[in-house]
Amino acid sequence: MTKKPSRLTNRRLLLAALLVVLAGLVILFFASGGGETIRPMREAPSAKSHGEAKARPEAKKVTLFFVSERDSLLHPETREIPGAASAAEEIEHVVGELIKGSRGDLVAPLPAETQVRRVFVAKDVAYVDLSRDVVDRFAYGSSSELAAIYAVVNTITANFKAVKRVAILVEGSEKETLGGHIDLSRPLLPEPTLVAK
Amino acid sequence: MHVDACCQMLSDAGSIPAASTRPFHMISCFRRRVAARLAAAALLALIASPFASSQGQTVVSLAVEDLDGGARLILNSARPLPFLITRSGNSLLVELQIAASVRFQRSPVTSPFVRSVEWSRGRDGYTLRVEASGPFVSTHQVIERPFQLVIDLKRSAGETPAVSPPDAKRTEAPAAKPDAAKTEAVVPQPEKPAVPSEPAPLPVVPAGAKRIRTVVIDPGHGGIESGAKGVFGAQEKDVTLAISLKLKDVLEKSTAFRVVLTRDRDNEIALESRAAVANNNKADVFISIHTNGSRRKNAQGSETFFLSLNATDEESRRLAYMENTGSELTGQIAQGNEDDVKLILWDMAQAAYLKQSSQLGEAIQAELNSLLGTLDRGLKQAPFKVLTGVACPAVLVEIAFISNPEEEKKLLSPGFQSNVVQAVYRGLIRYLELNPS
Repeated sequence: MTKKPSRLTNRRLLLAALLVVLAGLVILFFASGGGETIRPMREAPSAKSHGEAKARPEAKKVTLFFVSERDSLLHPETREIPGAASAAEEIEHVVGELIKGSRGDLVAPLPAETQVRRVFVAKDVAYVDLSRDVVDRFAYGSSSELAAIYAVVNTITANFKAVKRVAILVEGSEKETLGGHIDLSRPLLPEPTLVAK
Repeated sequence: MHVDACCQMLSDAGSIPAASTRPFHMISCFRRRVAARLAAAALLALIASPFASSQGQTVVSLAVEDLDGGARLILNSARPLPFLITRSGNSLLVELQIAASVRFQRSPVTSPFVRSVEWSRGRDGYTLRVEASGPFVSTHQVIERPFQLVIDLKRSAGETPAVSPPDAKRTEAPAAKPDAAKTEAVVPQPEKPAVPSEPAPLPVVPAGAKRIRTVVIDPGHGGIESGAKGVFGAQEKDVTLAISLKLKDVLEKSTAFRVVLTRDRDNEIALESRAAVANNNKADVFISIHTNGSRRKNAQGSETFFLSLNATDEESRRLAYMENTGSELTGQIAQGNEDDVKLILWDMAQAAYLKQSSQLGEAIQAELNSLLGTLDRGLKQAPFKVLTGVACPAVLVEIAFISNPEEEKKLLSPGFQSNVVQAVYRGLIRYLELNPS
C-alpha cells in the first residue's frame, strides 16, 4: 500500500522533469535556430563564389569564333571571362559568351535563346549540353549548321588545350543532328579550314 | 539398309567395352553409343537429303539486270538444276528439269531490253521465257555450289545464231556432279560458233558501262523536317523534292539507269534510312540534293560536299585499312555473321569510297559552275550524317542559298531548276565515264 503512491509520485515527477527539459529544448531550438540558420544559407555560397572570383584576379582571355558577313568563315573575337574553379565551368562561360554574340559586327552562330545546361569534361572530350532552343529556334541549312557547330567546337578546343574533341548534347541527350546535316553522334574534332586566316 | 548395318556395327563396337566391369568403361560405352547414334543420324540425313530437297520445295531466284543495253539473267538455286537454253525469235527459253515444286523469287526487272519474263510449268519441269525487245546473242556461264546460271543477252544488229557457246574460261562444266550425265545431255550444243556482233551502243550511256547503274537521289529533309527557309516562304524540303523528281525523270528518259528516290513525297525519312535505301538497292551513286541556309542574308553560291571523317587516330587506322580493302567491303559484310561487326562496317561504309566521292563531287560542282551562274563555293568536306553509311560514291549538293532572297527566287523558278537537273546529270555522266564499272 505504501509503495504504490510513492511509485506514482515518482512517475509524475519524472514526467514533469521530461516536459520541462523538452520545453527547454523547444525554446532553445526556436530562439537560437531562427536567426542563425537563415544567415549562413544566404551567405555561405555567394560569399564563397564571390570571394573566390575576386580572389582570382586572373580573368581568362579567350578567343571566340563568330560568323562574318563578308564570308562564311569563322572569325575570332577576343574577350575576358572570369576565371573559374574548373575547366568545365570556364567552358560554360565561354559558350555562354558565344551565344550572347559578337561585340563587333560579327554574326552569332547560335540562337540567342539557347542556354548552356551543363558542361563536363571526360578525358579529352568536352560535353556541352545545350537547351532545346538550339534546335527549335532556327531552321538550319548546311552553312548555318556547320557554323553553329564549329563555332562551339573550334572555340572550346582553341581555348582549352586539354580538350581535343567536343560532343554537343541537346537537352541532356545525344542528338543525331541539329537540323538534318552534321553528324553529332560522335565527338567532333575542330575544323581549321572553317576559320578565316 | 546401309545405314542400319552401319548403325548396328557401331552399336556393337560400343557394346564391347560395356562387358568390362570397370565403371569408366561403362561411361565410355555410353559415350560411344551416343556418338554412334549421332553418326548414324548424320549419315541418314546425308543420304536422305537429296530426296528431301527433291520432294520438298526448291527455291529458284531470278534477277534480270541491265548489261550494256542488253540484259543479264541470273538464276540462283540451292541445288544444281539441269537446264536447256533455246531461242525462238526474240525470246529466250530456259527449260529447267525439276520434278520438285519450285518457288520462284523474282526481283524487279531492271533491264529495258527485256520486255517480259514468264515462268510456265511443263511436263518435265519449268520453262522460263524471256522476251527481248530485239534480236540478241546469248552466252551463259554456270557456277556450282550454290548453283548459279548467268545468261547474258547482247543486242545484235541482225540475224545471229540462237545460242553461242558458253564462255570456256569461266564456265565450269557440271561434270563433277553425280547426275553429270543427265546434265550434260541437256546442255545445249551450239550448231556453229556464234560471232557476236558489237552491241549497238545506247546514245547516252557511257561506252564503258558494263551493267545497269543504280542511281539513288535523296531529296533533302521532308515532312516536319522542313530544312532551311527563305524570306518568301520557300522551304528547302519542297525545292529539293521538285528538283529530285525532275532529275529522276531526265535520268530515266535519257539513260538506262535505274533511279531510286529516298522519298517521292513530302514525308519524313530518317537519315540512316536514306543511306539504307542506297545500300539495299546496291546503288552505284548516291546524290543528296539540298538548298543551303545561312544566318547571313547575303550568303550565296553553290557547293558540293563529300564526307569528312573527323576520325580519331584509332579510327583513322581502321578506316585506312578499309580504304585499302574498299572493293572487298561488301564481301566482308556479306560474310560477317556478327551483327555488331556489320554495324561497325556499315556505320562508316562511306570511308571506303571517299576518293570516288570526291571525283563525283568535282564533276558535279564543275557543271553547276558552268550552268547555273551562281558563285562557285567549291568542293568541300564535312561530316554529313546522311553520307556516313552509304556504301557507294556519295555527295551532297547544296544548289544555292534559299536564305538569300535572290537565290530563293531562282530556286523556285522552273528554268533554274532544269539547269540544276542538267548540271547534276552531266556531272554524273562525266563521273561514270571516268569510272566505268
